[in-house]
Amino acid sequence: MNLLNGLKTLRHVVITHEDIDRAHDRARVQAARLRRSFLSRFRLLWLLVGPGILVMLGENDGPSMLSYAATGARFGIGFFLPFIVLTFVMAIVVQEMTMRLGAATHRGHAELIFERFGPFWGWFSMIDLGIGNFLTLITEFIAIRAGLGFFGVPPWAAVLLALALLYTALMTHRYWTWERITLAIAALNLVFIPVALLTHPDWHSISNALTTWKPVPRMDQNTLLIVLADIGATVTPWMLFFQQSATVDKGMTKRDVGFGRVDTVLGAALAAATALAMVVATAPLFASHMSAEHFQAAEFAQALRPLIGRLGASLFAVGIVEAGMVACVTISISSAYAFGEVAARPHSLNLPVRQGKAFYSVVFLLAVLAAVIVLIPGLPLVYVVLIVNVIAVLAMPPALVFLFMLANDRELMGDIASPAWANVLASAVVVFLVGAGVLFGISVIAPRVFAAWAGG
Amino acid sequence: MTAKQKFGDSTGLSDEDLVLSTLEPDQLAESKKQRIPRRSLRRGELLVLWFLRVYLLFMVAVVVYQAWTGTH
Repeated sequence: MNLLNGLKTLRHVVITHEDIDRAHDRARVQAARLRRSFLSRFRLLWLLVGPGILVMLGENDGPSMLSYAATGARFGIGFFLPFIVLTFVMAIVVQEMTMRLGAATHRGHAELIFERFGPFWGWFSMIDLGIGNFLTLITEFIAIRAGLGFFGVPPWAAVLLALALLYTALMTHRYWTWERITLAIAALNLVFIPVALLTHPDWHSISNALTTWKPVPRMDQNTLLIVLADIGATVTPWMLFFQQSATVDKGMTKRDVGFGRVDTVLGAALAAATALAMVVATAPLFASHMSAEHFQAAEFAQALRPLIGRLGASLFAVGIVEAGMVACVTISISSAYAFGEVAARPHSLNLPVRQGKAFYSVVFLLAVLAAVIVLIPGLPLVYVVLIVNVIAVLAMPPALVFLFMLANDRELMGDIASPAWANVLASAVVVFLVGAGVLFGISVIAPRVFAAWAGG
Repeated sequence: MTAKQKFGDSTGLSDEDLVLSTLEPDQLAESKKQRIPRRSLRRGELLVLWFLRVYLLFMVAVVVYQAWTGTH
């Protein structure tokens, strides 16, 4: 029996503002579902997409785009193109589970871990999420500062502008409006595609790399750091918490799971296209043997300027600002959702400020704190962002095991518990992530053993 | 303008009718106060969770060491 069916026996129904807002969104979904025309199916898709696209484009954030830029500049076009596609396939496997979990239980990820497995394991998950999210949030502001710096905006003004945008997005007090505004901003992530086209890429090399995974770079500690950073650029713990909570806040149900899958795959396809475009865009820096060791986000734009012109470089900088901005919003909100779920406080973007003081305060205070840290001069950006992505990879396996157990819990999931094929894929992702982490550990602790293994 | 005036007018339903006809019972904010029963972890699951916890702590120490050597 589905445990949540017991909730249907509520004697006294208390209806909140949050419920009314969500009911209006669901009424539109129900109306679209009643019609059978092609246009109605398209409208239904339009109404139900959101969390999947946002989480995938949100994860194409400042550190991720910089990791892809460093990948292109250091290794050019080759092994990393198909490797990045593989990481997005992993992201689809993982995120599909969170969407299904949210639609089946109507509960957030943190809430489920706390209630199903107890506070001991719940707090471990929250600490992992909290530390990871805060470090990542700092790097998002670094990206915003660097991107706007290209246009001559001073750091303090860039940070204030970002905080003002975050505040404006939150003050809609409506999940639907917030989601559409953030999706519109996230669409700017695609500017890296025209930037890549401006570099006149060698399509033969690209298709050859995508089909043969060659040339393969020499495996050393720096290559492994990029491998881990690229994995961390695609699968991270905050994505699990965000998509599940957003699925719940949007009001999706088991009937919407098919559209949820389309949403997730569509988001992954768009994000993968942008990630590949970034590698292709910075590949000329590899071909011209320019060093990318100390490039900050805006410096990539400066370095590419002779090749792609002022317009291309400006688009690049705009893309970096967008990457930082959207992630700043989504990551702050994933922290606030988790906080609200654990502290049993109201947690929804449909809440008016008076009812959601704790929720909105967490979002904004975290952002302000990260913004202040970013104003400290002399932070080594490239190094910081690569390390943040590596930590995200290391924190992923424990988070995935909880997700795996919850998605297989038939008492919670009923008839949409994970099928065998999804379990095989999810297990493969966990083994792959642990293996990559162990290799990185060996390369740091015992570099000679690693060199011997890598054939160096 | 009350919530009822603002929303009820657009659908012709009262807020309560709209909510009850479109949301599943366990989607209501109030219903989330009901706790989900705890499930005890099996020995194999505990083993995996503890292994990954130790792995994470160890690997974070490795990253900190790598960062420290990298910046010095």
